Amino acid sequence: MLATFGAALTILLGAASAMLVLRWTSVAIAAEPLTAPERMPFSGGGEPEFHAWNRYHARYYAMALLFVAFDMEMVYMYPWAVVFAREGLVAFVEMGMFIAILLLGILYAWRERGLEWA
Amino acid sequence: MTRWLRNVATRAPVPVFAVAGAETREAVQTLRLDGRVRLVSAPRQASVLLIAGRLPETLLDAAVAAHDVMPTPRATVLWLDDPLAPPPHPFADAPVHRGGDVASALVDVQHALLRGSQPSEPPVRPDIEPAPWRGEGPYGQGGAGMTGGVPYGRPMATREDDRDGLTLDVLPVPVGPLFSGFPDGLTARVTFAGDLVHRFELGTNPYGDGEARALDDPFWRALHEPVPIAELEVARARSLLRWASEAARVAGLDALSLRTLALAERAEPGDAAAVRALGRWLTHPLVTGRQHHGVAALDASELGGLGLGPVSRASGIPDDLRSSDPAYVELGFETICHDDGDAAARWRQRLAEAEQALELAARAGSRRTGGSGAVESPRGRLEPDSSPTSRSLPLLPDLVTGMEWGDAVTTIVSLDLDLPEAAAIASVAGAPA
Repeated sequence: MLATFGAALTILLGAASAMLVLRWTSVAIAAEPLTAPERMPFSGGGEPEFHAWNRYHARYYAMALLFVAFDMEMVYMYPWAVVFAREGLVAFVEMGMFIAILLLGILYAWRERGLEWA
Repeated sequence: MTRWLRNVATRAPVPVFAVAGAETREAVQTLRLDGRVRLVSAPRQASVLLIAGRLPETLLDAAVAAHDVMPTPRATVLWLDDPLAPPPHPFADAPVHRGGDVASALVDVQHALLRGSQPSEPPVRPDIEPAPWRGEGPYGQGGAGMTGGVPYGRPMATREDDRDGLTLDVLPVPVGPLFSGFPDGLTARVTFAGDLVHRFELGTNPYGDGEARALDDPFWRALHEPVPIAELEVARARSLLRWASEAARVAGLDALSLRTLALAERAEPGDAAAVRALGRWLTHPLVTGRQHHGVAALDASELGGLGLGPVSRASGIPDDLRSSDPAYVELGFETICHDDGDAAARWRQRLAEAEQALELAARAGSRRTGGSGAVESPRGRLEPDSSPTSRSLPLLPDLVTGMEWGDAVTTIVSLDLDLPEAAAIASVAGAPA
């Protein structure tokens, strides 16, 4: 019986001991609970009126969308790379035109201040 | 082990959060040059609270809030020059230091805290939750809305239209009077939409307690009596360098800030070259120039007639009372101007004026000026009933609205606001600060 369940019992006792030691350590080194004035957020001495849970406007969203859009161009480059050696100059010129059109898009976004953070 | 850790801790500079009254601000700023202490920008970084000079009621309340959020062990030191001044009520039991070397007192208190011979101070305010959780359930849980109830008794953020045409959460936050990025005493209710300033509402001047007091500086004296030009110009250079030191600190340039402060402390008529060399560093594009380029550009049409000194002149307005003063004309004074009008231009303007002031002081000899009822102070036209700060404060809300918070702080710092000066002049003139 002991031979069958000995290993499991050892693991159980080991886990329980580790849990108790960690629990005791946590209690032993814990700081005293903070009082209400000690927990107050400090922004210069005033008291907050509103709770700080709010939805935050990710202002870089325009830049992130542009990144995703232009990152997709890489997807088209993989099949192009496969046939580039066979097709030669024609494939090179076609990809050049494709990238030039994308570049115009980036320049347009830049002019429209789409690359600014805020 | 504990003893070794304690020894290591006692060798470190004392982290101090300082709250200064109107008369002690410069002394507290100078304390940064003492290697035994480290003035920190937030009370949660500090173990000792330094209260220097007499604080108006609003600042005292803020100091209590700062005291209570400091981590334990914590202590307070009062630094009072007036031998008869009683300690302020909430800190009546704190040790009082009267005299010059307050750093020693701060070190002694820190060592006593670390040794355990001085117990940590309890919070001043009672342990009462100012806004307890108010859910609907018996344990405060539940309720309508995303989070249920009213967390910590405070309303959730409201929503307003933003400049992108979206309706988004906005969060009003009270900032100051002890926010380290603001000039001393400035309070505002800032409504944030994300990281943008959606609305900026100025608070009252905490130094405007109605008590009339004269300013203790040569520019104030020059309003009423002739003062040596050399004295005025050295004071001007020191004030401008003190501003540069504070602005560098807020920009996170601590080493340059300390170098500038050290120069401000000892600036004499022969130090124009040192100011020029430091100014080249401070305004270099890789230090502050590029960072502040284009921030808060003020057009000359917005500043016409306001007499805001370096702020006006950085926008190309050649407005300087010294240019029509015979004593200065005799010295060959020429008004310095810049054109960009942004925060970077204001940096360049002030440093150029600090250098010019020391050159003028070196040439001034025994010439005197003043007594005409208006004087060109380091912040602009100073009159018995009007300070440059009181004229530039109304510009602030429109100027910072729509800015990222970092740019807003840079903008506010670049205006060199002096609220104690505004309050003192208002108290003498009998007007609101």
